[in-house]
Amino acid sequence: EFIQQNEDRDGTRFSWNVWPSSRIEATRMVIPLGCLLTPIKERADLPPIQYDPVLCTRPACRAILNPFCQVDYRAKIWACNFCFQRNPFPPQYAAISEQHQPAEIIPQFSTLEYTITRAQCHPPVFLIVLDTCMEEEDLQAVKESLQMSLSLLPQNALIGLITYGKMVQVHELGCEGCSKSYVFRGTKDLNAKQIQDMLGIGKGAAPAQQQRGGGGGPQGPQQHQLPSNRFLQPVHKCDMNLTDLLGELQRDPWPVTQGKRSLRATGVALSIAVGLLECTFPNTGARIMLFCGGPCTQGPGMVVDDELKHPIRSHHDIEKDNVKYMKKAMKHYEALANRSANNGHIVDIYSCALDQTGLHEMKFCPRYTGGHMVMGDSFNSSMFKQTFQRVFSKDGKQEFKMGFGATVEVKTSKELKVSGAIGPCVSLGVKGASVSDTEMGLGGTSQWKLCGLYPNLTLAFFFEVVNQHNAPIPQGGRGYIQFITQYQHSSGQRRIRVSTVARNWADASANIQHISAGFDQEASAVLMARLAVFRAETDDGPDVLRWLDRMLIRLCQKFGEYHKDDPNSFRFSENFSLYPQFMFHLRRSQFLQVFNNSPDETSYYRHMLNIEDLTQSLIMIQPILYAYSFSGTPEPVLLDTSSIQPDRILLMDTFFQIVIYHGATIHEWRKQGYQEQPEYENFKQLLHAPVDDAQEILQTRFPMPRYIDTEHEGSQARFLLSRVNPSQTHNTAFGWGQDGAAAAVLTDDVSLQVFMEHLKKLAVSSSS
Amino acid sequence: QEKQLIPADGIENPKIKLHNDFKKVNCSPDILRCTLTSIPQTSSLLNKSRLPLGILIHPFKDLSQLPVIQSNVIVRCRSCRTYINPFVYFVDQRRWKCNLCYRVNELPEEFNFDPVTKTYGEPQRRPEIKSATIEFIAPSEYMVIRPPQPAVYLYLLDVSFNAIETGYLNTFCQTLLDELDKIPSDSRTQIGFLCYDCALYFFNLEENLSQPQMLIVSDVDDVFLPCPDNLLVNLQESKEMVSDLLNQLPTLFESNRETGSALGAALQAAYKLIHSTGGRITVVQTVLPTIGPGGLENREDPNQRTTKNVTNLGPSTDFYKKLALDCSAQQVAVDLFMLNGQYADISSISCISKYSGGCIHYFPSFHCVKNPSLTEKFETDLRRYLTRKIGFEAVMRIRCTKGLSIHTFHGNFFVRSTDLLSLPNINPDAGFGMQMSIEDALTENSVVCFQAALLYTSSKGERRIRVHTMCLPVTNQLSEIYAGADQQAIIGLLAKMGADRSVTASLPDAREAMLNASVDSLSAFGGTLPSSQRIGSLPICYSLRLLPMLISAMCKFTAFRFGTTTKLDDRVFAMQQCKSLPIQYLIQSIYPHLYPIHKLGETTVMTKNNTEVPHTTRLHLSSANIDRQGVYVLDAYDRMYFYVGSAVGDQFCQDVLDVPNFMSIPEGMIDLPELENPTSENVRAFVNYLLDNRPNGSTFYVVREDSKIRMEFFQYMVEDRTESSMSYYEFLQHLQKQVKS
Ligand SMILES: [Zn+2]
Ligand SMILES: [Zn+2]
Repeated sequence: EFIQQNEDRDGTRFSWNVWPSSRIEATRMVIPLGCLLTPIKERADLPPIQYDPVLCTRPACRAILNPFCQVDYRAKIWACNFCFQRNPFPPQYAAISEQHQPAEIIPQFSTLEYTITRAQCHPPVFLIVLDTCMEEEDLQAVKESLQMSLSLLPQNALIGLITYGKMVQVHELGCEGCSKSYVFRGTKDLNAKQIQDMLGIGKGAAPAQQQRGGGGGPQGPQQHQLPSNRFLQPVHKCDMNLTDLLGELQRDPWPVTQGKRSLRATGVALSIAVGLLECTFPNTGARIMLFCGGPCTQGPGMVVDDELKHPIRSHHDIEKDNVKYMKKAMKHYEALANRSANNGHIVDIYSCALDQTGLHEMKFCPRYTGGHMVMGDSFNSSMFKQTFQRVFSKDGKQEFKMGFGATVEVKTSKELKVSGAIGPCVSLGVKGASVSDTEMGLGGTSQWKLCGLYPNLTLAFFFEVVNQHNAPIPQGGRGYIQFITQYQHSSGQRRIRVSTVARNWADASANIQHISAGFDQEASAVLMARLAVFRAETDDGPDVLRWLDRMLIRLCQKFGEYHKDDPNSFRFSENFSLYPQFMFHLRRSQFLQVFNNSPDETSYYRHMLNIEDLTQSLIMIQPILYAYSFSGTPEPVLLDTSSIQPDRILLMDTFFQIVIYHGATIHEWRKQGYQEQPEYENFKQLLHAPVDDAQEILQTRFPMPRYIDTEHEGSQARFLLSRVNPSQTHNTAFGWGQDGAAAAVLTDDVSLQVFMEHLKKLAVSSSS
Repeated sequence: QEKQLIPADGIENPKIKLHNDFKKVNCSPDILRCTLTSIPQTSSLLNKSRLPLGILIHPFKDLSQLPVIQSNVIVRCRSCRTYINPFVYFVDQRRWKCNLCYRVNELPEEFNFDPVTKTYGEPQRRPEIKSATIEFIAPSEYMVIRPPQPAVYLYLLDVSFNAIETGYLNTFCQTLLDELDKIPSDSRTQIGFLCYDCALYFFNLEENLSQPQMLIVSDVDDVFLPCPDNLLVNLQESKEMVSDLLNQLPTLFESNRETGSALGAALQAAYKLIHSTGGRITVVQTVLPTIGPGGLENREDPNQRTTKNVTNLGPSTDFYKKLALDCSAQQVAVDLFMLNGQYADISSISCISKYSGGCIHYFPSFHCVKNPSLTEKFETDLRRYLTRKIGFEAVMRIRCTKGLSIHTFHGNFFVRSTDLLSLPNINPDAGFGMQMSIEDALTENSVVCFQAALLYTSSKGERRIRVHTMCLPVTNQLSEIYAGADQQAIIGLLAKMGADRSVTASLPDAREAMLNASVDSLSAFGGTLPSSQRIGSLPICYSLRLLPMLISAMCKFTAFRFGTTTKLDDRVFAMQQCKSLPIQYLIQSIYPHLYPIHKLGETTVMTKNNTEVPHTTRLHLSSANIDRQGVYVLDAYDRMYFYVGSAVGDQFCQDVLDVPNFMSIPEGMIDLPELENPTSENVRAFVNYLLDNRPNGSTFYVVREDSKIRMEFFQYMVEDRTESSMSYYEFLQHLQKQVKS
C-alpha cells in the first residue's frame, strides 16, 4: 500500500523501501538499491505551478525546496534536507505562514511540476523519413497514416519530409507549381556541414534564396525566417501541400532485378535527417520518424547486401562472428544516435516488414534518444496504423502525451550516491557530490538526457550507500533522493517536475527484518531484468543467466528461512515469494533466450523492457493469463500448462501479444457454430468475453500488441505454449551444476517446480 | 586605291572551266567550293602558284530544291564506295566507271527501271545522274548497329544570379513555348530540362504528375542522376507538363542569389541522361563556370592586354574536350549559347561543342532591358535554332579522285578516321573546311571530283544520305590556276588556318602567315608575267585582285587584330566563326557590306518571292566613302548599322525615321518605323531583303553621326588607317615592298 501510494504520487518504485544504513550492509542485500522512475507519469491531480522552483543557495547543492525541508516561518528561512544549508525564502514568499503554505512544502506534494512561463520554447519539429522501397499497398497505407497524422499534429509544429530508396530526397515544403526536393546519393555519408551546404541552409545562403518560388510577393524584413524553413514548415502552412506531396509520392523508381533486394539507403537518409536538424534546430524538441520497410542495403549503415541469396544475419551468425556488415552498421547508427541525443532530437523507428530491417543495428537511435521502436509485419496493418495514431494521443487537457528535450537530475543526501541509470537516455557527464565511483548502467553522472518522453517511459536508477558502518545515522534519520526532470512539454512550455522521496534508514545488522519488510519484489524483478538485459548487450548469454542464478540463490540465502541442508525447510516471506518465479520466467523469456528470435526481434523486445513502466515490464517478464469458463467470472490463473483446460478459454497478455486460446471442447463447440444458436446465448457471451477484454488492451497499449486467436492444437497455439510453465512435460532433464552455485545452469524446458526444488537445494546448501 | 574593286552586285565566284554538260549539273558553290577551280596537275605546280589548296563545304545547307529518292538499291562503287554521280562515265548500258577510283562497276538492273513508266531507259535520266546534290532515304543496312535514334533534346539552363539578371530565361522559355509544336520531332521525340547554378536542378516531367517535380542535386563533385527515368520525357505525352514547366521556370528562379556556376557538373549529368539515346544538348551559359568539375579561373586581365600578342587563346583544361569526345562516341552533340558579359572562357568551354559537332552562339553582354536589339537577335536566332532542320548520329565522308589527299579538317566534329567526320548532330548552318594536297600527279585526268556524303538520322527517325559531288578541271598551266583561283574561298581557308595557328603558335605568327600568303602568291604570280608588265604596280591577277584587301581586313578582324580593346572571349568566338561559319557569312563578317542608302534604287534585285527590291552598289569600307549628307547601311552579318550623316535631309528623317530632322533622331533606335511613303517602303524593303539573306537574326542600330556608338560603325571602315594598323593603301605599299624584295 505504501509502495502503491508512492508510485502514484512520485512515479517511483524502489527495490528497497527501508535502506540499509551502511555500505557494507547494503552490498549484502544482493538486490541493489534501485528505483524505477516514471518522470512524466500522468498525474491529473498536480496543481498548476506557474513560477520557478526555489533552489538551495549552496552552489554545489541547488536542491529544490520540498516538503521534507525544515521551514522557519518566522525567519522566512528553510533548511535544505540535502545539505542542511539554511536558505532565506525569496521576497515573493514573504506572506507564507503555517496556515499559508506554498504547494512545494505541503507534504502531499512531494512531486510537483513547475511551468516556466518565461522560457519561450520553439514548437516541436517532426521530421518524417520515409522508405519508398515497399509494396504499393504498404506505401499507400503509410502515406495515409502520415496524411492522417497531419490533422493530429499541433498546428504550429514544424514538419519536414525526407524520402529514400536508392537515393535520399529532402523535400522542400510549401512550393507552388513545382514540387522541389534535394536529392542525395544513397551511398555517400555526409557530415552536417556538407548537408548544410548542399541544402543551402548554411550561413552563406542568401536570404532571397529561401524565397524561391514565392512568386513575387512583397519582399521585406518581415519575411526573414529561420533558414531551414524550406524543409521544415509549420503544419498550418503546409498541410495541404504535404498532403498532396505524399499523395503523389511513388515507389522508389529504380529498377530492382530478379534475385535482388531494393537498394535502400536507410543509413544515409537517417544521417541526413540528423544532420538537417542538427544544423537548424539544435536543442529544440524534434522527432525524426523513420518508416522503414526493409533493410538498408547500401552505403553507410547497410546491414545486408542486395543479393537475396544472402540472408540477413541471425543470432547464430552473430555468435559465430559471421557478420559482414553488422559492426560497421552499428558504429554508424550509434554515432548518429549520439549526435541526435546531443542535439536533443528523438529518433523513432517504425519498422514494418516480414523480414528483418536492421533494428538490431539501428536500436541505438531510439535507445539513446527516448524514441519509439515499433515493429510490425506491414504498414498496411491495424497494428501499425493504430500504434502510429497513438503516438499522437492526447491527455485530458487535449495535450500530447509527449515531452521533448528532457534532463533528469538526481540529488541524494550525503549517505547515498547514484551509480547509474538504465533506460532510453544518455549520460550528460555531470560529475558531482552525488555521483558514485561504481557504475551500474550509465554512470559517472548525476544528470541524464532523454530527448523524448512519454507518460509510461521509465528509467531505472541504481544507488550506492556510502555511509560507513562506523558512522551511524541518528535515530529517525532519513535518506533523501530528489529527481528533477526538466522537459519541453508538447505545448511548447518548459516544465520542471520535481519528486523528492524520503526513506528510513535501518541498521541491517540489527534490524534486518525492517529492511526485508521494505523489499519490493516487483520493482526488484524489473530492475534486475533491466540489469540483465543491459549486461546481455555486451556479455555472453550464458554468463548473464549464471549471474541471475547466482543473485537469486544469494537472495534466498540471505532472506530465506531454512535449516542448513534441508531444502524442505526453506520458506520465503510473502513479499519475496513471487520473486523466484519472476526470475524463472525472465530466464526463459525472449529477453535472454534469443535463439528463437531474430536479432531485430530481440532488439525490439529489449527496447520495450528498457523503456516501459513497472506494470508493463512485469507483464513482459511474466505474462498474465486469464481463464474464462462457465464456472464463474474470469479469473487470473497460473502461467502454467495446468491452466490449459478443454472447457476454458485462455487470454494471455505478454505485452507484445494478446493470445486468445480456445480449449479443445470450446473450440469444438465454436466450430459447430453453437454461438449462432439463440439457445446457446451464454456460449456466445463466453466467446465474447475474452475478445472484449483483449480489445480493451489492444486499444490502449503502445505499441499495439499482436492479436492472436487460436485454439487447442492450432498452429499459433505455440505462442501460449512457449510461455507457460511446462509443469506437465515429460522432459524433466535439468543441469544444475554440482560445483557450486556459480555453475548453476538450467535447461530451457525445466519446469518451475523443478527450478524451485533446485533453488531451495542450493540456497540451503552449506557448501555455498 | 579609289578604284571600285568590288562589283556592284558583290564579289563574283570564278567560272569553272568545264564542258557544258558538267557545268550545268555541278554542285553549287554555296555548298562545295575549292580554293582553286582549276586543279594543278602536280604538287610542284601547286607549290609554284603559292596558293593554298582546300575545299569548303556547307553540307546541310537549307535547300529549296533537293531531289530525294527512296530506292532499294543505292548504286556505289564497289571499290571506293563512291556514290554514283553525274560525273561518272558510262562504259555501256550495263557498266559505269567510277570517277574517283576508275573502277568499272556493274549497273544494277533496277537502276535503269523507271517505276513510273515501268520501262527501262537511259541511266542519264536518273536523279543521281542529273543532280550533283541528292538525298537518299537509306535502306536498313545504313543503320548504325541500332535502329535510328529518336530526336532527343535536352536543355541546360544557367539560372545563376547573373543569368536571372540578364532576363534571358523569360525569352528562352517563351520562345520555346511558342515553337514547341514546330521543333523537328515525331512521336518518339524526347525532351528534358536541367537548370544549374552551383547545384543542379532536374525536372521530373512524367505525364501523370499533377505538376513538375524539381529534383535538386547539390553534390556537384560526384554527379549522379536523381531518378532513373522521366527526366527526359516523350514530348507529345508530356507536352502539358513541359508547357507548365516553361511557364513557371522564370519565376521559379527569379530571386536566386547564387552566383556560382557548375557547368561542368551539369554537362556530366546531361551526358548521363542522354548517352543511351544520343541527341542534342543545348546549353545557355552566362558566366564563367567556377564550381565543381570543369571549374575555370579568370584568365583575362584587361590591364594585361598588350598590343603585340594575345595569350590564353587555347583551352585551360581538357575537361570539356574529353567530355565532348565521350558525347561524340554516344552520338550526343552540345550546342552553346554564350550570353556572358564578363569573361567566361569561351576558349575552354567551347571545346564541348567543337569536338561533339555542336554549334556555338555568342551574345556578348546580353541583357534583355539594356540591350533590346541583341535580345531580339537572341530570340530570332533561338527560334531558328529550335525549328531548323537537324540530323542526328551523323557521319560525313569526303572522297576525292585518286591522287588527291585530304589532310586537315576545320569545323566542329571529331575525326573518326582519315576521311570520316563524326557529327553527332548536323545543322544547316554548319560549315567545314579541308586542306588538300596532291599526292600523285593527275596527268591522266582532265577533271577531278570531290564527293561529300553525309549520313544522318532525320528528326522523324529516317536514315538519310545527302551526297554532294563537285567536278573541277585539271590544268598544267600556272596562268589557268591563277585565273581560276577563288579569292573568297582562299580567304575562308586562310582564316581557318590562321585560327589554328593563333592557338598552336601565336597570333603574330598567324598574322605573319596571312601576310606571307599574299606576298608569296603575288610574287609567284609576278614571276609569271613578263618583266615589262611588272614595273610600278603590284603584280596581281584579276581573280585575286581583292585578296590584299581581304587579307588586310582579316588582320583587322576581331579574331586576328592587335590592340587592347578586344576582349578575349570576343576574339576566341571570332576565331571559332572562322572555323565553322559558311564561307559567304565568314567573308561578310571579315569585310562587311556597306550600302549608300541615299542611292537606293540605282539597281534592283529579285527576292525569293519574285518581287523586285531596290538595291544599290556596294562601297568599299573607307570613311572616305561616308558623306555627311548620306545614309548608309553597314551589314556585318550578325549586326547591322543604319548610319545617318549629320547633313541628312529633313525629308528623309521624316519619311524614314518619323522624326522632323537629324537632331531629333533618338539615341538607341533599333528599328525603322513602318511609314507609308515610298522612301520608307523602299528602305525597309531593302533592309528586310538583306536580313532575309541569312539564317540568323542580326542586331540593328540606327547610328547618328554624332552618336556615342559611331565608333562601332567606323571601326568597320577597315581600309582606314588607325593608330595601330595600316590603311589599305599603306598595306598595299607594304606588300609591294615585300614582293619586290
Ligand atoms: Zn542544499
Ligand atoms: Zn570508286
